Amino acid sequence: MNKKLWIDYALSQGFTSFEIYQATAEEKNVAWFDHQMDSYVTSHVLGTALRGVLDGKMVNLATEDASDEQMETLIADMLRQAAAITSDDAGIIRSPENAIPLESVRSWKEPAGPEVQAALSSLEQALASYDPRIIQVTDLSWERSRSVRQIVNSNGMDLRDESCYQILMAGVAASDGSEVKTAYKIEVVEDLSAFDQSAFVKELCEDVLGKLGAKSLKSGSYPVILERKAMTSLFSAFSGMFSGELIGKGISPLKDKLDAAVFSEKISVLDDPRDPQVLSCCAFDDEGCPTRAKTLVDVGVFRMMLHDSKSAARLGAESTGNGFKAGYASPVGVQPMGLRILPGEKSLEELQTALGDCFVIQEFQGLHAGVDPVTTDFSLQCAGYWVKDGKKERSVTLVTAAGNFLDLMKKVTEVGNDLDWSYRSIACPSIAFSECAISGE
Amino acid sequence: MLEKQQLERYLSLCMRSQADFAEIYEEEELSETLVMLDGKVEDVNRKTVQGVGIRLYKGVQSVYAYSNESVPEVVEPLIRDLTDAIGSSDKDAAVALERVAYENRHPVKIDFDAVSLEDKTHLLTRATDAARAVDPRIVKVQARLLNVRQKVQISNSEGRLIGDTRVRTRMYCTAFGQEGTNFQTGTDGPGAGKGLEFYEEITPEQIGAEAARVALVNLQAKDCPSGKMTVIIDNAFGGVIFHEACGHALEASSVAKNQSVFAGKLGQQIASPCVSAVDDGTIPNAWGSQNIDDEGNFQQRRVLIENGILKSYMVDRLNGRRMGMASTSSSRRESYRYEPTSRMSNTFICQGDASFEELFEGVERGLYAKKMGGGSVNPQTGEFNFSVGEGYLIENGKITEPVRGASLIGNGRDILLNIDKVCSNLARGQGMCGSSSGSIPTDVGQPAIRVTSITVGGTANE
Repeated sequence: MNKKLWIDYALSQGFTSFEIYQATAEEKNVAWFDHQMDSYVTSHVLGTALRGVLDGKMVNLATEDASDEQMETLIADMLRQAAAITSDDAGIIRSPENAIPLESVRSWKEPAGPEVQAALSSLEQALASYDPRIIQVTDLSWERSRSVRQIVNSNGMDLRDESCYQILMAGVAASDGSEVKTAYKIEVVEDLSAFDQSAFVKELCEDVLGKLGAKSLKSGSYPVILERKAMTSLFSAFSGMFSGELIGKGISPLKDKLDAAVFSEKISVLDDPRDPQVLSCCAFDDEGCPTRAKTLVDVGVFRMMLHDSKSAARLGAESTGNGFKAGYASPVGVQPMGLRILPGEKSLEELQTALGDCFVIQEFQGLHAGVDPVTTDFSLQCAGYWVKDGKKERSVTLVTAAGNFLDLMKKVTEVGNDLDWSYRSIACPSIAFSECAISGE
Repeated sequence: MLEKQQLERYLSLCMRSQADFAEIYEEEELSETLVMLDGKVEDVNRKTVQGVGIRLYKGVQSVYAYSNESVPEVVEPLIRDLTDAIGSSDKDAAVALERVAYENRHPVKIDFDAVSLEDKTHLLTRATDAARAVDPRIVKVQARLLNVRQKVQISNSEGRLIGDTRVRTRMYCTAFGQEGTNFQTGTDGPGAGKGLEFYEEITPEQIGAEAARVALVNLQAKDCPSGKMTVIIDNAFGGVIFHEACGHALEASSVAKNQSVFAGKLGQQIASPCVSAVDDGTIPNAWGSQNIDDEGNFQQRRVLIENGILKSYMVDRLNGRRMGMASTSSSRRESYRYEPTSRMSNTFICQGDASFEELFEGVERGLYAKKMGGGSVNPQTGEFNFSVGEGYLIENGKITEPVRGASLIGNGRDILLNIDKVCSNLARGQGMCGSSSGSIPTDVGQPAIRVTSITVGGTANE
């Protein structure tokens, strides 16, 4: 693709600014099942997204055939699209800015194929032999991804960065003869030869064994602790509330709440795409805007929303460097990156001790359907364990937790200290709440 | 799409290895999405996806490579990578392809790409205006129109060369109702494997008005009570209960590895005798239909459960090898970026003989779930959940007041046995199903059914 040719041609057709975004992804995945390699997947994909501003309107088009022969056809398509758009939103393609490069804290060492297979085989054996109640290693895979992102536009922007990750994923099933429970674990592995297999095996197997013997709970309102994985998934489901785009459209629960207390004063929220602990950290967003750390909620008070260029212009603000794509082909939208609830001082065990009797929720299911992001009402299947006098008494399953997220976040009694990023771009510590409605028996 | 000779060359290269089967999947997809908010067109996005996926089997092992470039300089190194992974060989492996012709079961009358963007945005305007006209409390309306045309060509080392063109359209409308500080939403999103003629059958006005109606019901709804109770789930998208509670656990991807609560249960009673269920990928122009599956086999109608007895799983070629069963043409994938596996198409509980009124007889206290939201399941444990989009209390056999915020949870092993009445009003609804081979269009469906006991999660503690 001759990018200069495309940009010059687009400008000659009436676009006032034009941008080419390209993402190249190379992936390898090895899956292991029942003592042998189950599947091997390798890929090389280049995706191209075009953006142009015509009569002040932004037009998007994505293609996997960006050969120069396609140029006139695709730009003619974009001209037709521009004529159909009637939104008042101003289309903005950014000019180059000084994005300070990130210093990587990761040291990726790619293992050879036989090393991967040997590691998976060893891990399978260790998981299967951990306890006789482990009945199957259900999933086992290693994945390596490398990607290159490039943004070139008619305003002189020419940005490029690279990213990489390697992860190991395992799932196990356990049974006590009467029921089956499953658990999985994903770990970022920079160097497979330094991977702590025994710690990984212990954590995963203890997780699944702890779920056996689970029973429902009598319906009622209980003190609860959302363990960090559950807290992260629930907070992620409502993270759109900080979007300046949704606030501007009037469909965020934080509309008209700037500088108002929205959470307990024990809660502060930070978004920092530059945090090197975040696997997807980056120096600039998908519009080329430099990223930075922002305090969104300060001791319970909503102080700042997230913006891309479009949402910022709508509200007369500046982009916060949160214009990201959900994939190369998606239009830019407002997304958090490195979003976290700041951790407190106490461990999960200390939170349990403080509450005495409580329900610890370890996981939620159905988050794609059981939440209303506008009202923040939720009703979700969950599982975990019951704590009696500060100690785990028994496992709990097939119950639902329901309520309103904004209401719940005002009932915080303590914030834990166990924030952990792993492969995620949003993370929370465990948090204790005075009450939550639980439905069971 | 690649020429026959080029495919034969690639397949021959693939088979010059220890592979016993090779397949090439090619895809070209054009999709467009139009988004309107409050009568203004916010986005018009068009996307072209094209690529090739190459898969080799050795017994039950598979290796897969994909790229959006199909020229020899890219594809041949990928094939070498695959043959190295599966084991090299010098065997003579010439492949001769023969194209399979057939009659298209899913013809399209109005090609979306031949219609102007202005005419397509007018469809969204009609839905928006209809939603707003329902009641002044409808304060905001978002309408989306999705059109997709996917062309595929599949060739394999058994000499099969076959293609298909899948077209689908869907309009999704969300209405926002407001009364004071109470803000609620309602949605409707019908679709079909058709062109824009679909909106002559189900009009944008109907879609907008239905979304607004649900939003208004939810404005009046009170918190849903909790606990175990009898639940009557209405037809169409109510069939998501079968899709989640049972359908996923009948896919060979779970069954073949003994990761399903229904593994090893063929011929056994897994549901109440009043329950029969089918997965039918042949229904003309249905949302989840195709002429062929993504391994190039003609789609089928699969009877899964007959009078409560498990009759069949949904099987793809690779998992069929593990199970010692033939493919049931159930292999599907979102795109060339995914290795295909067994998936549902149009899955529904067959109609029964109870009248709608009969379902409510004798129910002292229960929940009537008129519209369902989405859900999910763990096929290995059987635990499922789904949300209720529009619900009402049942008191002394009568539908009384609307409730919101309900979710239903349970175990697939139990729920099918607890269905005691099946109505005669079979209908289907459209959804996107996510699994290991990506997000694919599937119909769910059922007549209204009565489940004698299910755990309802709600915010009201009673």
